[in-house]
Amino acid sequence: MKKYVEDLNFEGEEFIRDWPFWSPQDIRRKKGVLEAARLMINSALTAPFAGGVPQIETHLIYGQNELEMLARKMEEIAHTNKNWEEPFLYEAVMVRDSDVIILLGNTRCHETPLDAGCGMCGGTLDCGYFYEKKKHKYGLVDITDRSSTRMIDGPLCTARVDDLGYAVGSALWTAYTLMVDARPFASIGMAGQKLGYCPNSGMVVGVPVAAKAKNPYVDVNADYHLINMEKVLDSARKMYATTRIIRGFDYRKWIPKRQKTGKEDE
Amino acid sequence: MGHMIGKDYLQDHILEVAKNIVLAIHKAPQITGKTEIEVEIIWGKDLEPILAVLEPVAAAVRYVQWDYETIKRCYQRGESPVVIGIGTKVNTSNLAWNCGACGFNTCKEFNAYAKTVDGGQLGGPCCNWKILDYAIACDWACASAWQNKVDNRIMGSLGFALGALNYLPNSNVKLGLALGPARDMVYYSREDMHKVLNYEMDKMDMLRCIPTMFATFAGGGNPMYKTKDDWWAPPDFLNIGFSDEVMAALEKILYEQVPEALVKYSPQVEARYKKK
Repeated sequence: MKKYVEDLNFEGEEFIRDWPFWSPQDIRRKKGVLEAARLMINSALTAPFAGGVPQIETHLIYGQNELEMLARKMEEIAHTNKNWEEPFLYEAVMVRDSDVIILLGNTRCHETPLDAGCGMCGGTLDCGYFYEKKKHKYGLVDITDRSSTRMIDGPLCTARVDDLGYAVGSALWTAYTLMVDARPFASIGMAGQKLGYCPNSGMVVGVPVAAKAKNPYVDVNADYHLINMEKVLDSARKMYATTRIIRGFDYRKWIPKRQKTGKEDE
Repeated sequence: MGHMIGKDYLQDHILEVAKNIVLAIHKAPQITGKTEIEVEIIWGKDLEPILAVLEPVAAAVRYVQWDYETIKRCYQRGESPVVIGIGTKVNTSNLAWNCGACGFNTCKEFNAYAKTVDGGQLGGPCCNWKILDYAIACDWACASAWQNKVDNRIMGSLGFALGALNYLPNSNVKLGLALGPARDMVYYSREDMHKVLNYEMDKMDMLRCIPTMFATFAGGGNPMYKTKDDWWAPPDFLNIGFSDEVMAALEKILYEQVPEALVKYSPQVEARYKKK
């Protein structure tokens, strides 16, 4: 049997900073957020569920390409519904500004309901509302037909969706306790689900996580998809380059000096 | 200057903790940002209407029995749990997302349907995104209680009683978070159940709920069930069918006994909202 060998080599130094983006020091910072996100997922899995039934699956997404793919899917979905357009486009910016994305899905809400007759799905005295709209045999739901064109293939067992909310709540509670920024988003969940994340889930919620000076998920301006940090930085690249051209001189021979004023002479 | 002895003062403190928890409920993040959460704090003698509604249900539903017995026994000992009622109105969608999660193609169709039903044991129907907001708030209530080191449990049974008595009158989905008294294991590994549970009950619950655990060789197509030490002599078989007895008992509870409690207590609950 392989024995655990304790590594006592405890020395080193790490430089951590949020600038420049994707520099080694920024990636070290992101790794701290990744650890926090993993603890958030643990919290989600220990949330109080009806009957203590396991029903949550998660995906942890990080990396520039992975986040970009998610953001683009959100932008695609944004244009399918007028009511989603602006919020989803804004939230795609937030995804790009995040360090890590957590997707939390419920694996039972569409297939193995609570079956407690609670009535939350359809407001009736039994589970009939759910089963009458599902393809099933004696209560065993057949989910093999995945051709639905709806964003979410409802109806869902609302008691299970309620449990998903508890999982999201616990993840967020841990985020707040660890002082990393996080918020729950429908747009990220739906886009993630369409991309195939949380593949066994009937409903998915996205929780982006970040540790930056400015919380990426609050205090946004209008037209945030057009005016945001990435765009502002790119705008500076564009404007400053041209500004230099129109003020060009040979610095080896002459540098313009500030004109002295009488006050400065004193 | 002061000197506190014993732990009676903790009962008052649990009430203060409950107020902190209500803060957490209202601070909880939301997905939609459009879900109103309604909260009330109930304790002491005011738990009596809730216990009166739960008593008949407890006779037929095991998890309700556990909640009822625990809260009742704590209350009778003078260490009343504090109940935080948490509700929301989610049978109308103001999102216009048309996501399909509720089973309809559009929110408009869902809203029209919702007007045709009264709601089940725990309310409904629900916009699933708004119920997520509600659940996050309920979870923050639980997390806040744990961080304050108060034993607690979020209960559908209390939600049913709150709904029946029309507490939280602006909500169509309700749950109750029971808090305290100040000790370990009130609502988990419940010591109060020692006086209610016996071995035979435990065994029969297991047999009814997880029958495969007791099944014998399945090859014959109709397995015997090991319900006793000498299970083969004579063997027992599983019997599946409609139960007049069970259904009659449930109907009596829902349509006779619970309404009796409501007739007695609903006017006093209703009067409180009129005063305010």
